[in-house]
Amino acid sequence: MTGWLLPFLFGAAAGVLSAWGIGGGTLLLLCMTLLLGVDQAEAQGINLLFFLPTAGVSLLFHKKNGYLDKGVAKAAILPGTLCALAAALFSSLIDRDIFRKPFGVFLLLASASILLDKRVSQ
Amino acid sequence: MSGSPERRNEAEAPRRGASVSAKSRLAGALAGIVNGLFGGGGGIPLLLLLTKWARLEEKAAFATCIAVILPLCAVSAAVYLLRGAVPLADALPYLAGGLVGGAAGGMLFRRVPEVWLRHIFALFLLYGAWRYLSPAR
Repeated sequence: MTGWLLPFLFGAAAGVLSAWGIGGGTLLLLCMTLLLGVDQAEAQGINLLFFLPTAGVSLLFHKKNGYLDKGVAKAAILPGTLCALAAALFSSLIDRDIFRKPFGVFLLLASASILLDKRVSQ
Repeated sequence: MSGSPERRNEAEAPRRGASVSAKSRLAGALAGIVNGLFGGGGGIPLLLLLTKWARLEEKAAFATCIAVILPLCAVSAAVYLLRGAVPLADALPYLAGGLVGGAAGGMLFRRVPEVWLRHIFALFLLYGAWRYLSPAR
């Protein structure tokens, strides 16, 4: 039972954040790898699968509430999907650890740019 | 990444629509690369580019990011599945929880202050940065 319960609860909590687009996947990855001892590669795969129903159901609400910019989404999806496919195939051929540090630096800069954004919040 | 001709002169592009569309294509491509390499995280460059470069409203950017990342994740997930890296049975409880949380989050989105979204998001980025930059695995 507990084998099911914790993944379900973590999935639900991460699902709320995923629906808001603010890091549900990161939360779920952390829960899986740090708290549940799931292997990193398997956790990444589960994380990807997790996003499909979670994002799908949240998008129904976002569309209804007028938050979707369809023009932007349509323009971004094709190049994004092609690049995702290419990068995923490429990453299976190499040691992905070499990207850890550059990605970490990018995350640091990204968080700084958001926290230092002076735009007035509504 | 293939270069797109529309990106030239985009600073002076007279029609905002065309420019936003070109920016969206490039942002999408970058999101795809990050997602493909790391199995996630593509929404981060996407959100930054859509808000700071294409100048979308913040909540619209968060929601639109989800729509863009969804097919990318589907492709990446298919690749992971083909490689046999994901036992489906292990994933099911997470997916069930995700459905419940995704619906709840979708319903609450209108009422969440943008500053919450921004700060929670930034916290995750900081945590991720620490995790990726720390030498101990």
